[in-house]
Amino acid sequence: MQAEIATSPVKPLPQPAPRAPAFRRANEDAPWVRYLLTGTALLVVGVLIVIPIANVFVEAFASGAGAYFRNLFTDPDTRHAILLTLTVVPIALVLNTIFGVTAAWAISRFQFPGRSVLTALIDLPFSVSPVVAGLMFVLIFGLQGYFGPFLRRDGYSVVPYLVSFVLALVFAVGYFLARPSDGRLRVGLWKRPGLVVPLGSLALFAVSFAVQKALGIWPENTSLKIIFATPGLVLATSFVTFPFVARELIPVMDAIGPDEELAAVSLGASGWQMFWHVTVPNVKWGLVYGVILCNARAMGEFGAVYVVSGHIAGQTDTMPLRIEKLFQEYNLPGSFAVASVLTLVAIGTLVIKSKLETLVAASGAHGQAENVTKGEPS
Amino acid sequence: MSIVIKDVNKRFGSFVALDRINLTVPDGGLLALLGPSGSGKTTLLRIIAGLEVADSGSIHHHDEDITGYSARERKVGFVFQHYALFRHMTIADNIGYGLRVRGVGKAERAERVNELLKLIRLDGLGTRFPSQLSGGQRQRVALARALAARPAVLLLDEPFGALDAKVRQELRQWLRKLHEEIQVTSVFVTHDQEEAFEVADHVVVMNHGKIEQVGSPAEVFEHPANAFVMDFLGNVNVFHGRLEQGKAVAPGVEFHYPEYQQTEARDAAIYVRPHELWIERKKNGVPSLAAKVLHVSPTGSRTKVELQAVDTNALITAELTSERYAELALKSGETVHVSARRVRVFEAAQQPEYSI
Repeated sequence: MQAEIATSPVKPLPQPAPRAPAFRRANEDAPWVRYLLTGTALLVVGVLIVIPIANVFVEAFASGAGAYFRNLFTDPDTRHAILLTLTVVPIALVLNTIFGVTAAWAISRFQFPGRSVLTALIDLPFSVSPVVAGLMFVLIFGLQGYFGPFLRRDGYSVVPYLVSFVLALVFAVGYFLARPSDGRLRVGLWKRPGLVVPLGSLALFAVSFAVQKALGIWPENTSLKIIFATPGLVLATSFVTFPFVARELIPVMDAIGPDEELAAVSLGASGWQMFWHVTVPNVKWGLVYGVILCNARAMGEFGAVYVVSGHIAGQTDTMPLRIEKLFQEYNLPGSFAVASVLTLVAIGTLVIKSKLETLVAASGAHGQAENVTKGEPS
Repeated sequence: MSIVIKDVNKRFGSFVALDRINLTVPDGGLLALLGPSGSGKTTLLRIIAGLEVADSGSIHHHDEDITGYSARERKVGFVFQHYALFRHMTIADNIGYGLRVRGVGKAERAERVNELLKLIRLDGLGTRFPSQLSGGQRQRVALARALAARPAVLLLDEPFGALDAKVRQELRQWLRKLHEEIQVTSVFVTHDQEEAFEVADHVVVMNHGKIEQVGSPAEVFEHPANAFVMDFLGNVNVFHGRLEQGKAVAPGVEFHYPEYQQTEARDAAIYVRPHELWIERKKNGVPSLAAKVLHVSPTGSRTKVELQAVDTNALITAELTSERYAELALKSGETVHVSARRVRVFEAAQQPEYSI
């Protein structure tokens, strides 16, 4: 290979080409090499990507725009699938954003035992097959699973505990966030977090639990469906899209480093102020980017959702599942109509992503995108 | 007394960063923490700032124990080596941040920001972003930001470390002048002894988490407390030998050392600064060392001469005034006699652990 390049017509060597020249510019490749490589790349992209995607729209509109929208909006099962996706995906996004920010913060700002394990575990959903992921949830929450019999017998009895626990947690976090950071303003109960947080959380837990029980908000002795129901879909989707936000944020936060945050603290900012004034503006593009990718993946998730949904039309079918079902029923225009919506989402994601990349590049060079126009000419 | 540090200890795992530090920073003074990397100087600064928590010990400010105070309550201004300006905020917003989080109104904030922009000679650049400024300008902004909330103490962590030589020189003088103007108690960290001597009026030399010596620049330089300080503050020639009967004897050379008159010999390290060495063409009765001139580099007012002892092959650096150099007209390769006008001797137990 090397000898062949060396004897190419650009620079014939006098000696019988024992080795390639020490230095050769990248653009010195022979024209035929360039055309061949470019042509191959274009061909592969065309055959594997452009033509199939175009075909989705062609097939979707095969019997006209009227039929397209009829296919999308008159079929109640399809309509339900779209609505279900629009319910499940936002919940998964919110969960993953909270988790992603928390994990990225912990990994890039603290040293703690198990840090490398956590870093590795974040990637796990990428490497586990979605079908296996779905199966895991079935084995835990399904009828034959560990919690299955209990959930079926009296599943709702855990809900008051969960609700009370979340309330108590919100109280504890809220206490620290609302606590004045200036020592002189900390009077009365603000001075005793060690007392207020455990006792307050416990009291809130008890009261909330008692109220829920007394009012009978949750049905008793009723099966709480997780598998073959929306909670299972949310769980499976969240699991599969779990790494996106954290994966985007960790390198960004590592690159920025903790100095600006320390500076904010030394200037008197509270943790909350520091987070919103310094951390969030610095990582916002990475965060948006991660959320967009997460959204694209969550909308299109098939394998894990397939396993936990039970594939019940009009109940647990999400858009990708609906596409497959319509396809199996030989309803090609209907199937391609739904597919075109997902494809549009994907293309939209791609456009936003590349726009963001230019924005991020600009903000990397100039501190922030807006300042290019806002700042004075130097 | 402004800041008093009492028995402060800090470990990172098994590494001892600070080992029973006791220090007093005088009110309105400008104090330099000087030491090699890993000596604990930055850790000490961060503990004073409240960005790091000491394992034990206490910090007092005007007789008030501030050990348990958060960074916000301590009213300190902290300047980071790499500026740590908020990259998404304008210069004005950066400077005003300390006031913003303390709930100071917009008008008052703008007034103070303008005042500080004038002080750092960047008026009119308030709408720029940090990335549009040079390194020196950024560090001035960082300083203004730290000063905005009128801190009781100003702490600077290697403030000129990331700047090029010329800007560093200018900023040192500027900081000195600024300190004279505003008289805020300041502590700054540096590993550059020249910088510490030029800017500070008190120098604290640290090594391995311990304070080696505290004093004015002149005191520390002229009367180093131990071999480490001697070695760390500028170039020095070391001869390993012994003391006996008013003499310091190293292989091939003897120096007068009247402080030690006992007959019993003792191991010692003999330190001579390059400018305290004297070069003669001929022996003139003073104990001296024969050495070959390896290299002569005339740099401005002083000429550096590198020599090699004839007997021991030890390398020696001497510094001559340009007048003396002109008088001698030394050439590489010739043999001369080197004597010391002043030696400092530290006994073997105090040998420096630090080496350049």
